[in-house]
Parts: sequence; C-alpha cells; structure tokens
Amino acid sequence: MSDGTETLSRNAEAEATLAGLGSYRWGFSSDIEQELAPRGLNEDTVRYISAKKNEPGWMLEWRLAAFRAWLKMESPGWAKLAIPPIDYQDAHYYAAPRKKPALASLDELDPEIRRTYEKLGIPIEEQKVLAGVEGARKVAVDAVFDSVSVATTFREELKKAGVIFLSISEAIREYPDLVRRHIGSVVPVRDNFFACLNSAVFSDGTFVYVPKGVRCPMELSTYFRINAENTGQFERTLIIADEGAYVSYLEGCTAPMRDEHQLHAAVVELIAETDAEIKYSTVQNWYPGDAQGRGGIFNFVTKRALCRGDRSRVSWTQVETGSAITWKYPSCVLAGADSVGEFYSVAVTNNLQQADTGTKMIHLGPRTRSRIISKGISAGRSSNTYRGLVRVGPSAEGARNFTQCDSLLLGDRCAAHTVPYIEVKHPIAQIEHEATTSKVSDDQKFYAMQRGLPEEEAVALIVNGFCREVLQTLPMEFAVEAQKLLGISLEGSVG
Amino acid sequence: MRELPSRREEAWRWADLRLAERLRAVPAPANDALPDLDSLALVRPAARAVLAGGHAIESAGRPTHPAPDRSIAPHPLADIAAAEALAGLVVDVGEGEDGGLLECVHLGTSGAAHSVLRVELAAGARLTLVETIADAEADHWSNIRLDARLGEGAELVRILRIETVHGLASTRAHVALARAARLAEVSMIASPAAVRAETHVRLEGEGAEAVVNGVLLASGSAALDVVTRLQHEVPHTVSRQLWRLVAAGMGQASIAGGVAVARHAQKTDAAQSLRGLLLNRTAAVNLKPELEIFADDVACAHGCAVGEIDPLQRFYLESRGLPRPEARALLMQAFAAEALHALADPELSQPLADRLAGHLGALA
Amino acid sequence: MLAITDLHASVGGTPILKGLTLSVGAGEVHAIMGPNGAGKSTLAHVLAGREGYEVTGGTAVFLGQDLLAMAPHERAAAGLFLGFQYPVEIPGVSNLLFLRTALNAQRKLRGEPEVSGAEFLKRVRAEAQALGLDMEMLKRPVNMGFSGGEKKRNEAFQMGILQPRFALLDETDSGLDIDALKVVADSINRFRGPDRGVLLITHYQRLLDHVRPDRVHILAAGRIVESGGPELALRLEAQGYGAIAA
Repeated sequence: MSDGTETLSRNAEAEATLAGLGSYRWGFSSDIEQELAPRGLNEDTVRYISAKKNEPGWMLEWRLAAFRAWLKMESPGWAKLAIPPIDYQDAHYYAAPRKKPALASLDELDPEIRRTYEKLGIPIEEQKVLAGVEGARKVAVDAVFDSVSVATTFREELKKAGVIFLSISEAIREYPDLVRRHIGSVVPVRDNFFACLNSAVFSDGTFVYVPKGVRCPMELSTYFRINAENTGQFERTLIIADEGAYVSYLEGCTAPMRDEHQLHAAVVELIAETDAEIKYSTVQNWYPGDAQGRGGIFNFVTKRALCRGDRSRVSWTQVETGSAITWKYPSCVLAGADSVGEFYSVAVTNNLQQADTGTKMIHLGPRTRSRIISKGISAGRSSNTYRGLVRVGPSAEGARNFTQCDSLLLGDRCAAHTVPYIEVKHPIAQIEHEATTSKVSDDQKFYAMQRGLPEEEAVALIVNGFCREVLQTLPMEFAVEAQKLLGISLEGSVG
Repeated sequence: MRELPSRREEAWRWADLRLAERLRAVPAPANDALPDLDSLALVRPAARAVLAGGHAIESAGRPTHPAPDRSIAPHPLADIAAAEALAGLVVDVGEGEDGGLLECVHLGTSGAAHSVLRVELAAGARLTLVETIADAEADHWSNIRLDARLGEGAELVRILRIETVHGLASTRAHVALARAARLAEVSMIASPAAVRAETHVRLEGEGAEAVVNGVLLASGSAALDVVTRLQHEVPHTVSRQLWRLVAAGMGQASIAGGVAVARHAQKTDAAQSLRGLLLNRTAAVNLKPELEIFADDVACAHGCAVGEIDPLQRFYLESRGLPRPEARALLMQAFAAEALHALADPELSQPLADRLAGHLGALA
Repeated sequence: MLAITDLHASVGGTPILKGLTLSVGAGEVHAIMGPNGAGKSTLAHVLAGREGYEVTGGTAVFLGQDLLAMAPHERAAAGLFLGFQYPVEIPGVSNLLFLRTALNAQRKLRGEPEVSGAEFLKRVRAEAQALGLDMEMLKRPVNMGFSGGEKKRNEAFQMGILQPRFALLDETDSGLDIDALKVVADSINRFRGPDRGVLLITHYQRLLDHVRPDRVHILAAGRIVESGGPELALRLEAQGYGAIAA
C-alpha cells in the first residue's frame, strides 16, 4: 500500500467454474496482476490517475475542475429506476494490468489477457485477418481492459489513410490540440452527475479522428472489459469525423460475475462536420447480476453526438442486454442544416434488471431529420423504460421526426414504460410518434411450435422478428452476435 | 404553508404557476364586481351553482364547505384547495336516479380562490356536470378540486370549459369508477393566460370505461398545461384519450397524457391520440404520451403528431374555391372538433362546438 | 378559353416546363399525352396554382383573365377545376360539408347567391346516382378510406356539383377498372358543352376510346412536341413514346 498500489491475486479457476453454472457466459475473471489506485475518491485520486497517464497539466486541471463541480452535484432521481445508494468511496478508480503490454505487437500482450479475449471470442488477432481470405472484412480493434487500453490493432494501415485511432490516453499525449479542442465540447463537464464524475476520473477510452474526405477503410471497434474487483470503469470516447468523412464504430462490453455491483460511467462524444457520417453501434452485455439481483454492473452512460456541419449524419444503434441497471440516452444535437440523427435500440431486461434508456433528438438547424426506433423487451421481474425527447427549436424550419417505440412483455411480473417528450417550437415541423405494447401472442407461438420449434426458440424467433428493424442496422458480425445474445438473455423467461 | 411545486420537477416542467406564487397569500375578497352571469352559461341548465372568487353566489345542490375525499393520493394544488377552500358544492345522486344537468361556474375575481367539489353517484345514477372557469378583469388564482366517485353502472358526463383571460386556473379532478361505470369528459380550454388542468381517473371495477378528451387553444402568451392519468386497476377496463392542441401567438399548449396499467389488470384496452398544431413561429406545443405498464396481456397504444396545417389539404380546398383563411379555419375545426365526439348529446356538443368555432375563427 | 403561351416553370429550382404553348377553345376537348416525367402533372399544378410550382416565364390566360396572377381559390371560382391524380384525404371533414362550403365560397366570389340546403341536396342526389356513388359514402370524411376508384369517382362527382367552365383532369383514368372508367368517361361526356373546355392529361390511349378528343398533344421534356387529331393518340399507342421523342 505504501506506493499506492496493491496486487490482487485470486482463484480464477473457481470463478470460471461458477460462471459456467449461470447463464452469463462472460462471467469468468482473469488472474492478472493488477495495479490499483487506493480505494476512495478525492483530489489525490484524480492526481494519481493523471500522473499514471503522464498527462499534461491542462488535462489535470480540467479533471480537478470537474471533480470539484461533481462534489456539488446530486445523483439524478427522475428515471424509473430503483438505484441502491452507491458509496463512491468504496471503489478503486484505476486498475491496470501490472505489465504494461507493448502496444505495437499482440505477442507481447499478457497471455492471460489474450486468453481472456479468446474466451470472449473477440476477433482481436489481426494476423488472422491479414493472412486471411482476400476480401475479408477488416475490423480494427481497440481493447480496454479495466482502466487502460491494451491493444490497438491496424494502427499503421489506418495511419496511411490518415485515420487516427488511439487510446484516449495516447491521444492526449500525441494530439493534445485536437483532444483539448473537442473534449467536453459535446458533453460539457457539468452536463450531469455521472458525466461529471467521468470527466474527473476517466481512465481510458478511444480517440478517433477521420480527416476531411476520408472514408475510414475498415470498421473500428473497441471491446470494453471490467475485470478487477471493486473497480469502477470510466472510459471516455471521442470521435471526430471531419468534412465529408465516414466512420463506422462498434463497441462491445463484458464483465466478470461478482456479487457486488460495479459502476460503469462512460462518456462518448461524437462530432460530425459538414457532410460527415458516423455510425456508432453498441452491443452492451455487461454482467446483469444473478436471478436474485445480486451483483451486476450499474451502467450510467452519457453518449451524445453533435451534428455540427450541414448534411452531417449520426446513427446510434444499441443492443442492450446486460447490466443490472442501465441509464443511457445516446442523443443527437442536430445543429447543421439538413443534418440527420438516428437512434435504433433494442433493450432487453430479464430477472431483476432495470433499464431506463432512450434518446434525445435536439433539432436546431433547418430541415433536420431524426428517426427513433426503440424496441423494449421485458421478462422476469424486470423493468424496462423508454425515455425520449424530441425538441424542435424555433429555427428548425422543416424539421421532421418519426418515432416508433414498441414494448414486448414476456410474463406478468415485468414492467414496460414509455416516457416520450415532444417539444415543438416551429410551425413547419412534422413530428410523428407511435407506440404499442404487446405480448407474444399464443397464436404466433403455437404456429411456430406446431412447425417444430421448442417454446423458447419460438419465443426467441418472435422476439427477433420484433427487433428486426433495429438488428438489421448493425454491421453483419454484430448482428449475428446480437441475435444470439437476445436468445441467451431471455433464457428462463418462458414457461 | 404547503410548498408549491417547482418547474424543476418533471411533472411540472411545462406549468406556469407564477400567479399562484404571487397570489398565494392574497385571498379573493367577497364583494368584487361581477360580470353578467347569464352570458357565461354554456347551456340553459336545470341547475346552476356560481362561485365568485371562491365565495358561493348562487347554489344548486348542497352549498357547503365539503370535506375532501381523504382516500385520494396527495396532490400539491388539490391539497391546498382542500385546506383553504371557503365554499364548494356537494352533489349526491341516489341509486338509479338521473341528476340531470348541473352547471358550476367558477369566476376568478382577484386574489386566490379555492374550492372543492364532491360528486357521489350511487349505483346506476347519472349526472352531467358542466364546469366553467372564467374571469373578470384582474389577475387571480382559481384553484379547484373535484373528487368524484361513480358507483356500479353510474355515468358521469363532465365538460370542463376554461375561458379565462387573466388569471391562473388550476383544477385537479379525481374520478373513481366502480364496475361498469362510465365517464365521458371533454375539456375545452381556450385562453391567453395560464392553466393547469389535471384529470386523474381510477378504473377500479371491471367493465369500467373512461373517455377523456379535450381541445387546447393557446393564444397570447398562454401556458396551457394538461395532465391526465388513467389508472387501470383491474382487468377488462377501457380508456380513450383524444387531445387536440392549437398554439398561436406566443402561446404554449402542453399535455402529459398518462396511462398506467396495474399488475394483473389484464385485457386493459387503452388508446391515446395527441396532436398539436402550431400556427406561428413563436408558439409551442409539448406532448408527453406516457405509458406505465405492469401487465402483459393489454392493448395500449398511443399516437401523436405535431405539425402545421397540411399545405396539400389546404391547396385541395383552395382549388375547390375556398379562400385561404376559410380553408385554414375549416381544417382547424376538423382538427379540433374530433375531441367533442365524446359527447353523444348534441344539446351539449353543439354549444361547445359553436364556442370552439368562435375561438378558432379568432385565431385563423 | 385557355391560352397558354411559352410557359416555363420550375419545381425546387429544377426547370420542368420549358416553353409550353397550348390553346383550348370553348366547346373543345384536348388531350395531353406524354411519357413519365414529361411535365404533365406539373402543368396541371401550375395551372391550378399549387405552392412550390414556380412560374419562371410565359403566360396563361383563362377566359380573358391572367390565370397566373390569381390565388388558387380564385381560379376555382373563375371556373377552373383540377381533377387530382391523387385525391387528398382530409380526416374529419365530411365530403358534403366540404363540397357545399366550396360551392358557396365560389358563388360568393362570383357575386351569386348561396345555394340552399335543399337545392344542394337535390344536386347531390342526382349526381351521386349518375355516378353510382353511395350517399353514405359522401357523408364520410373527404376521400378517407376510399378505394382508388372511389376517389376518382368522387373527383368526377365534385366536378358535377361545382359545374366549372373548364376541367383539367390529371390522370383521371389511372387506377380505374373498366366499369369505373366508363362511369368517369360518361361524366366527362356529360360535362362537354359549347361553352366548356376540357384538358385531359393521360398516359394511355384507353380513356380516349371513351372520350373522343378534338385535339391531341404530345408533351415531352416540358414542351408540346407534336399536335394532331385523335389519330395521333392511336399512332402513339402503336409506336410508343420512344418513336415520338426520337
């Protein structure tokens, strides 16, 4: 403890066995030597994190200002969520594998981390793709393990195209001007309680810059993994698509099974300049806790895009199956004329999970358009809320929004809520909103079963059909993964 | 003193309670000058009660100082009304009786005025209640609480007409429906001032049905804010909501329409349609169609839309010979009048439609 | 009756009509045929005064008046009727209320007395019977829940009630089965008269089998490229638009 770190070592075998008993297949933890910040949160914690990352002075000042602001804020209480009190002093705000892997080569990566990724089924081995079949789709991957980025692949190839794809810690050191100019410009430090906390203690994350006119030659992807015990994860992602640029970014998340809740409070900021397009897809599968509601991740995330340029376009797709509690509203500020924001969401809750998720579409520029498709599925004793805001400002002449939010209830002990806000201040705007609530009908189920499907598969099939519109917006690899996840998440919810 | 709610609370974000803050400690005097009461009547009623500044002027039914129904959940404004009301009205209709038509006029004079209405309909009883809120020529806060209970198979038709010009009118109606009871409610709120109108309906008996419709016409610098909450507590109940909002000038028209389905309230059938029409760039429309569902075998849907008058529809009318203002007025009337369809009796719907047309004509 | 000279018009900044000249005299029936995208519907909308259809040059004189200077409802009152290709649905406004309001608004503008309720209903019954329209249908909101054929019959019905001087019929034959086509054609033939004009806009010859035009014009790329008698339509049917454009 004297140097401010402690080493953790646990019986990973036992935990992995335990994981096999439950239905959460990513619940193993890895036995990796950890460097941990001391438990607790104060200005020294913030200084410790900043020092560990060799940050410039302005970054530390920014963090400290955020921390001081956070002390005066209160945790939001408006969501339809029962959040147990969180002791912010009882967590580690920084955890890193002790042997810092060489980022240039995967071979030097801690074999335990690599095994973890193999277990996760992450296509991290770039060699496979490089040596692979001609025309195979390339996915560049950044992997964030607890607090630090451990591997960023394809960096050289991306560099040739002019695309910067780095961990945010590296970006702060290598591209300080770009980061400084944009960080906090979409999600201001004081935006909300969790974003403010993140601004103070964020540990790592991803930075992407796609220069003018460049179509990013491959999908970019980050896998987030919480491994260490009693840690919070606070990653920060910043993606900038300059004029006419295009990028598609995928994000996946998992965590081991633990009896305690763990906090994940990320901030994602997207900036799309004139004619730029950003597609951001998430498959969120944090550990949801067990059937009795023990453990699981508190996923309190702020994601927002600024469509700054004319004709810019941002599309959020999320498949949310994990976490004990999800509080998340990926949003678009449509400032540029003719800019477009889209939000496609599938949120599944089972057992005692709670989700309060949706989007905000803020129409500021003329002829801005937005589209919201939300599919909520509740099972077990869970609670699933869609919360959305569509706002048309007085200068957004000709703005259009279409919203469809559908809820599906499996069983009679769960809950589904819909809380849309529509605020319109321009007469020449066209806003349409539709919502339905349904269950899997006995006729549908019977028909599928009569054709030979077991009940659970029949339900999974119908649920997949219910979500089709959203799933088909995902890149192919993710769509398949998401479909499987839906089936797994709903296991035990039928019959 | 009870706290007034703040705009920072989600349920009050579109409300304008500034007059309540200001006039809270200024009770309305008893002897303000009154306008011609007959001109305020919507229909020629069999019975009429008039409360001016919260003081009883004319009475039908039992003029008293009614005690509120204590079983109802607390509500910041309704609780102030219960605590500070000077007068009110109790209407009891006995089993199988027809209570006919009762018009209750609340006249805002100056200062704060609170009143409490209690309506008890025994099994099979019927009543048509027309509540009108209007005002004289000064700022006022008129705060009204209605606690109503409908016995088995009872029927209440309620018209809420708010045509204030100066003050803040706030109402909170709570209607509980026993088995097979029916509520048909139509609000017409046309005002350049501040309004907060809430209707809470609890469908407590199987086969109960509630229709809660309304039209909001916000002009001037109005802040018209409606909240509905239809709570389906038992299986096999039905609710319908249809609201049409028109905002002109600097006016803001808002509605938070809520449907809640309790656990085990299977076969609930609830539908909600909210639509807004904005007439110019300084006006605003806010909609919040909320669903809170704890039962799986239900049919709950809502649709809402905000827009301008459809230019193609207007052109179609113009191409058939209607001048533009008439084409607009006709389309606006068609838009708004849908909410009045809940009134089966033309004796009730016609005068309301006429007044609506008058207000719309002024806006078009 | 209607004289269009060197008419140019744009939609959303794109020029569609590029110097269209056409004249229809009293008592005449003209047909405009042309391939998709030639500007047929644009011509109809420009003549009726729809917003977004910008006249950039030329004139259109209707019964001695400058048509292009008039508001849409004034054109209607002056006697111009547009039969829409896609009749518009108007929820909440009953057909009969709509039509009576329109009729009286036109008459008011022309300085004529209003038509009484009884007189109006008499006309409605007669016209509905002629077109095989159900009175119940006419009480429904305008075009709501009508099939494609019913909508077109409803357009013909409105024309019968409003009694315009000039009918501009945009693809009136599209979406009609053969029986409905005959009914609509009959109503056009009944409408024909020495002081009335008709301009049929159509893609196909088949309506012209039932309504024999005096003149046929071919519209291509925003201009009349050829004019002739009824035989031109037959030739077009046989050879296709490709041959004409070439």
